[in-house]
Amino acid sequence: MFFLFISLFILSVSSVLIFACSRSKTISAGLFLWSLVAACGFGLGSAFSVLCQKAGALPLGVMDFRLQAHIPLGEFYIGIDFLSAFFLLLLFIVTLAAGIYGYAYLRDYRGPRNVGVHLALFHLLTVVMVFVLVAKNAILFLAAWELMTVISYFLITFTNDSEQVRKAGYIYLIMTHAGVFCLVLMFLIMGAGAGSMNFDQMQAFSFPLGLAAILFMLAFVGFGIKAGFIPFHVWLPHAHPAAPSYISALLSGVVIKIGIYGLMRVLVIVKDFPLWCGVGLLIMAVISGVGGVLYALGQHEIKKLLAYHSIENIGIIALGLGIGMIGHAYHQDTVALLGFTAALLHTFNHAVFKGLLFLSAGSVIHCTHTGDMERMGGLFKWLPWTGHLFLIGSLSICGLPLFNGFISEWLVFRSLLEGVFHFDIFGIIFSILAIVALALIGGLAALCFAKAFGVIFLGNNRSSEEQHYDDGDFVFRAPMVLLAVLCLWVGLFPTTMVNFALQGAQVLTGVPTPWALKAAIINPLLLATRVLSFGIIIFVILALLRRFLVRSHPVYLAETWGCGYTKLSSRVQYTASSFAKPILKIFRSILFYKVEALRPKGYFPTEGKLGSSLKDAAESLFFRPLFIIIKRFSRKLKWIQSGHTQIYILYILFLLVILLAWKLH
Amino acid sequence: MNTLLHLMILFVFPPLLLGFIGKTKAFFAGRIGPPLLQPYYDILKLMQKASVYSVTANWIFRAAPLVSTAAILSAGILMPLAAFKPPVQFEGDLILFVYLLALGRFVIVLAALDTGSSFEWLGAIREMTFGCLSEITVFLNLTILALLSRSLSLSEIFLGGLSSSWLQVGPVLILVVVSSFLVLLVENSRIPVDDPETHLELTMIHEVMVLDHSGVDLGLIVYGQAVKLFLFGAMLVSMIITFKPLDAFTDTALFLLEIIGFAIFIGMIESMMARLRLNKVPFLLFSAFIFSVFGLIVILVRGGH
Repeated sequence: MFFLFISLFILSVSSVLIFACSRSKTISAGLFLWSLVAACGFGLGSAFSVLCQKAGALPLGVMDFRLQAHIPLGEFYIGIDFLSAFFLLLLFIVTLAAGIYGYAYLRDYRGPRNVGVHLALFHLLTVVMVFVLVAKNAILFLAAWELMTVISYFLITFTNDSEQVRKAGYIYLIMTHAGVFCLVLMFLIMGAGAGSMNFDQMQAFSFPLGLAAILFMLAFVGFGIKAGFIPFHVWLPHAHPAAPSYISALLSGVVIKIGIYGLMRVLVIVKDFPLWCGVGLLIMAVISGVGGVLYALGQHEIKKLLAYHSIENIGIIALGLGIGMIGHAYHQDTVALLGFTAALLHTFNHAVFKGLLFLSAGSVIHCTHTGDMERMGGLFKWLPWTGHLFLIGSLSICGLPLFNGFISEWLVFRSLLEGVFHFDIFGIIFSILAIVALALIGGLAALCFAKAFGVIFLGNNRSSEEQHYDDGDFVFRAPMVLLAVLCLWVGLFPTTMVNFALQGAQVLTGVPTPWALKAAIINPLLLATRVLSFGIIIFVILALLRRFLVRSHPVYLAETWGCGYTKLSSRVQYTASSFAKPILKIFRSILFYKVEALRPKGYFPTEGKLGSSLKDAAESLFFRPLFIIIKRFSRKLKWIQSGHTQIYILYILFLLVILLAWKLH
Repeated sequence: MNTLLHLMILFVFPPLLLGFIGKTKAFFAGRIGPPLLQPYYDILKLMQKASVYSVTANWIFRAAPLVSTAAILSAGILMPLAAFKPPVQFEGDLILFVYLLALGRFVIVLAALDTGSSFEWLGAIREMTFGCLSEITVFLNLTILALLSRSLSLSEIFLGGLSSSWLQVGPVLILVVVSSFLVLLVENSRIPVDDPETHLELTMIHEVMVLDHSGVDLGLIVYGQAVKLFLFGAMLVSMIITFKPLDAFTDTALFLLEIIGFAIFIGMIESMMARLRLNKVPFLLFSAFIFSVFGLIVILVRGGH
């Protein structure tokens, strides 16, 4: 707790200082970098010190701090338990990486915007996100939550001279505020039930099941908008391409994870939900997962593609969370623990590899000045660092063994399969549905990242323009290398992170986990890494064999075999659209997938065109019509807003009179 | 000892399956055909050949055959062969098994993309597209088997977990076997999905993907594919024949005979069927999926779980 205070202190003081020296870019940027490193170091220290504690030693709410100064409706009450500490861990790691990258990116920035203000806001965002994670009072939580939304809005719209960026920021602001409405309602209901706005008093109150279901639905909408569940995901594909890459990494790595944290916090507070809530979450998770990855396949803008993958991964996290809730409702503690652990670990893993992918995508965009994958290709030779880092990120997000994605997907699968063993027929059906969905998500994600990596980095360059390629210096690469090392570390030595996730999961199950159960979860993973090390040994033997054989024979270099064609240009290569076409055609009955072709006519055709597009159903079928209706309706209420101050004062007077009458009555 | 025998079978035996398939096809065509050991000769010959590399390709192209073969072989140490427990087993190893095979496929696809050739991209895309459709059936089948044997470990599922199930829910297992067999044909690019013999690029999946590989790399890919076929075959025969003699020697011999029988069966299918049109392959995969869904419904309704 003490470390966390130091960290918060450094962040707030330095953000004020950065703001004060925002005239000089060099000073403010330097200040930003060092205060960031120091604050994240202390923050990580506080998270580790909590997570490394023995579970039985203390009650699960580990460290508290109370300030008896009464702010209206509540008190300043914060505390770190295992769940908060787990999220603090990923928050500080991703913030550190994104911040250093942001520093490197803005160092050379010559534009008209004030960099100092931007960097000061970056620190403030970290501060309020920490407060969201450690708040133990609903009012404090909501205040921090609201500040988080507003500050991240300013960070997203850094380059606000473009129409597209302003629109993206606007969509983000509207969507997340619709969520806040649900959250306020939810906390008011909780507070009215428990008689206090403090989380631990709420937790002590046992909510009736019907009320719990209503609270769950409010939480799902409120936090789900932030987390990006389909159909509330529409802000994500707009905001990510609009924001600078390091802000995208922060959004995808941390901000949407805080939505997941909120949902988990509600699970901790309300404890018991009817079975169908878990089932409902599982179904929404399946829709988000499969839908997210299918939409991602249809995107040819690199950051949009990554944004849809965040939706997919939120789906995977929610699969774990859903099976955990179902397990809890069936009183199957093993399944519940496995599910929650899987959800937490995947949250961490996704933050790490998606941060890595967004940062390396940022480097690609920095060099090519476009996000359009159709104009890239063959960058692996020109951007070796970025290429290798993106490859590691891709292998991790596909959940392939050796990398961290596999560990958490393995846990999700295991929890679902345990669900098949321990539930009744109703639970079994949904577990199997989720297994099939997860298998499909895994396969489609692999397809999508074969596409992304192949189109961007392999083959030949499709762009006709001369481009200046530069991998960036050490400061650019260091944050990405840090995240890549974490991907491999969790993939090869999963014990530490799985242990941390187990610590967090026992807050969700509400009971300390017995040692035997922990061992039953971790030991198979250790055996799995043994298989992987066997694979590495075979790889080394084969590599030596190959080296020997290749050395003893001549090796020729030649053009790629063109099957008889000799004049192959880079324009003959496959494109991202044609890569996705076969699979999207198979799923065309559930997607708005259109191929528009202008066929060449005659013997000497002059023009021909082919294009494909994938429309977002939630956006074009639900939100657009909804907002048109709202607009029409609010136009009718326009007369209330006359713009005269006197009229508004009159309104206030009316309100006071009504309140007085109500009170007297 | 058992581990050594396991590794011996895993490393040495697989190419023989290709030899038996070739012999069977030759027999049906009325030819004598290549010797049974021809695949070994092929692989050894390829190992001694010079390599040609594309100037477009990076190290991914060179490393992929190694990674793929290593991944497939390490999946092999999870699969019980004969009645021996595999060297490593744990709860949930079936997930690792499928994912290692997926890793093997993914790196070969990346290698194909690395050449920048449209033909190889074509093959790679088809391989990934069909791969993600077959993966769901693989998982569904494994879930059914896990449900029947009440275990999440391949060794416990295939070593005795299923023998009583054949008596109780035989029809379900028949459905699962049929569906696994269809998936096997797709995953290993056999007729009627893909023709490993032809070299006509536009009609193929796997072969076109490795068009640019030569020498040692091609040899490793051929070997890796043989091991993959062997693993799928081992899974299928241990699903069908659950009878295990106690003696280690007869047991191994019986297992090898079974798997040779499986190879001959593949050869018969390949001799008697034509290739499907490419756009019909998803239907084949969907029917495999539907078969296992039916199997699942029967189990759930019967309440045998």
